[in-house]
Amino acid sequence: MSSLNASLATALSGLEAAQGALQATSNNVANANTPGYSREVPVLEASDPVVVGALTLGTGVTLQSLESIRDPILESQIQQETQTQGQLNSLVSALQQTQVNFSSTTGDIGTAISNFFSSINELATSPADLSLRQGVLTAADNLASAFNTTANNLTAQRSNLDGSVEQTVGQINQLTAQIAQLNQHISQVQNAGESAGTFIDQRTQLIDQLSSLVDVSVIPTGNTLTLTTAAGTALVAGQQSFQLSTQANSSGVQDVYSGSTDITSTIVSGQLGGLLQARDQQIPSLQNQLDTLAAGLATAVNGVQTAGFDLNGKQGTNLFNPPPASGTGAAASLSVAITDPSLIAASSDGTSGNNANADAMYALSNQAIVNGESPSDYYSGIVFNVGNAVSNASAQQNASNLVLQQLNDQRAAVSGVSLNEEAANMIQYQQAYAASAQVITAINDMMYTAINMTTLTG
Amino acid sequence: MRVNPNPLSDLLSALEQTQQQINTDSEQVASGQTVNEPSDNPSAAATLVTNANQTTEADQYLRSIGSIQGEMQNADSALSSVVTVLQRAISLGTEGANGTNNASDRQAIATELQGIQSQLVSLANLSYQGNYVFAGTATQTAPYVVDSNGSVNYVGNDNTNQIAVGDNLNVAMNLPGSELFSNAGNDVFQAIQDLITNLQSGTNISGALGEVSNAYDYINAQRVFYGNAIDQLNTQQTYLNSETTQLAQQQNSLSATDLPQAITSLETSQTAEQATLQIISQTQQANLFSYLK
Repeated sequence: MSSLNASLATALSGLEAAQGALQATSNNVANANTPGYSREVPVLEASDPVVVGALTLGTGVTLQSLESIRDPILESQIQQETQTQGQLNSLVSALQQTQVNFSSTTGDIGTAISNFFSSINELATSPADLSLRQGVLTAADNLASAFNTTANNLTAQRSNLDGSVEQTVGQINQLTAQIAQLNQHISQVQNAGESAGTFIDQRTQLIDQLSSLVDVSVIPTGNTLTLTTAAGTALVAGQQSFQLSTQANSSGVQDVYSGSTDITSTIVSGQLGGLLQARDQQIPSLQNQLDTLAAGLATAVNGVQTAGFDLNGKQGTNLFNPPPASGTGAAASLSVAITDPSLIAASSDGTSGNNANADAMYALSNQAIVNGESPSDYYSGIVFNVGNAVSNASAQQNASNLVLQQLNDQRAAVSGVSLNEEAANMIQYQQAYAASAQVITAINDMMYTAINMTTLTG
Repeated sequence: MRVNPNPLSDLLSALEQTQQQINTDSEQVASGQTVNEPSDNPSAAATLVTNANQTTEADQYLRSIGSIQGEMQNADSALSSVVTVLQRAISLGTEGANGTNNASDRQAIATELQGIQSQLVSLANLSYQGNYVFAGTATQTAPYVVDSNGSVNYVGNDNTNQIAVGDNLNVAMNLPGSELFSNAGNDVFQAIQDLITNLQSGTNISGALGEVSNAYDYINAQRVFYGNAIDQLNTQQTYLNSETTQLAQQQNSLSATDLPQAITSLETSQTAEQATLQIISQTQQANLFSYLK
């Protein structure tokens, strides 16, 4: 036999379940625009029935849990792609700043080289003319300062990137500490048998952020998870985070350390990877090419200059201060060694009217004096390299953006809050609530009837 | 199938792309250039560097040609005067060789020849913009000096200057006086001096006249150098002018904005932007909540 009280309890469970389910809906609606939020669905289950004699009586409904709907594989793909995107974003923005130095303007190195040789050809028309000699000195000064400016800009940019590396390492440390803390919360909540959906959402969101900064591998371990870099350096293990640090190396930039291990070269993606790539590969390679150009040019010009004779018939001296023997820093230190225009060695026989040496110096403009190329050709190669690096990285960036957008779409399709769906659910739960309430009212009436019945007979 | 319930971010990113295209197109229209940064077209940017270098070179060659053309034309016209003066000397000499002349007649001719001699010295010491043209490369001092005996000595050198007026094209800029006026066997000044001396003494006038005539022939032949050099410069000038035009065309085709195309693309992007905005404003209005009463 069933009892009215049992029915009341069953109706009440329906009331509570509808209320709890509505809680999920209301939370979903409230978080409809929260980044990283995964929609919750109520997990409803029929309560265990009671067997009374031949009757099996249902005992209502239980709201088991509110489950967050997420696809872990999709999330891990998003984290991967976010790393690539972070790397490309920082690389592209660094390279775009770099290429400004190589845009064709009136002060760029290419123009300065052309003007320098032009002034020498002009001098050859009248080698004793002091104003033409002064023109050569001025053009040489402009050439040196074009090299200096570009080299200094690259150095400054490199040191800015170095600052960003330090900042990024700081951000990584902050995020790993937060993730470790969330790991602790999640395992506490889950050990208590409760749903940790919201904390997991927060943690996923933080891992996404971390992925945009550095390459991260996520290894789930029981209730918590372990984060390492792609090369295996531990970042977070359960409730403990491992802080990264930076330390200046011999070339004056910060290396990234985990404990006492230098992990700089193992970081390949994320913002940090992009910064390191620009700082340690792209910019040094450009600096190197500029140094080669400056050293090759200065050495060749000096070679011709010292083989000739100046306006006073004396053996020529260096026009440019000799570049460092290693070539490193040649562009930044390029400077003109003479200030007296009569010291330009235009003559090859010592007479002031002879222009053979100026003509020979001019001929350098089309000779293979820089790594087997003429100065102008070598410079145009640098421009190509810079442009190509930016253009390639931008293309990859666009592709990565599309992939990420696609993945985010898929994640939203699984985990995103649909207001239509929530509205439908709301109606459903509202009606279920109303229906359960009606049942209670009916039971109440029945109880009343039963109680009144006893009063009448009593 | 469940779809992304909130496509706003997709729409916004589409909007961003359209906006970027609009920016690119506007920049290209405004600057007139498609290659504003090396990354816009790396290989065109590299070619433009070479193009700019070649343009600067060609402009410089043209300037250099301009400045040596003046010197060469002056030298050529000086030589033409020398030839005229020598013709006069020859006719004077021929007159002097006539047996009917007496000593004073010959002296009068000799005196006129002395005038011619100093005229020749002054022509040979031609200076252009502070440089002596016929001094070899010793251009800062007058190449011909007359000593106390009246004989004319060359103090310049035998060197010539060359200048690049094209890639791998060097032209000689001058002929030294030693090859023009003081060439052994055809020395103009010596010939005139001999003619003067022989007229004064009345001996072997026709022999001295022969010397002058030889010198005349020689100088006339040497004039060809300047004639040829000036022709060569003119030819090179024509070539460089057309090269400059070609370089400008190349530069234009590498980097100039194709205006109709850019503007069409701009308009297309603007239409796309409008459409996307319309979609965003319309699709984001309705959901089931709006219909609940």
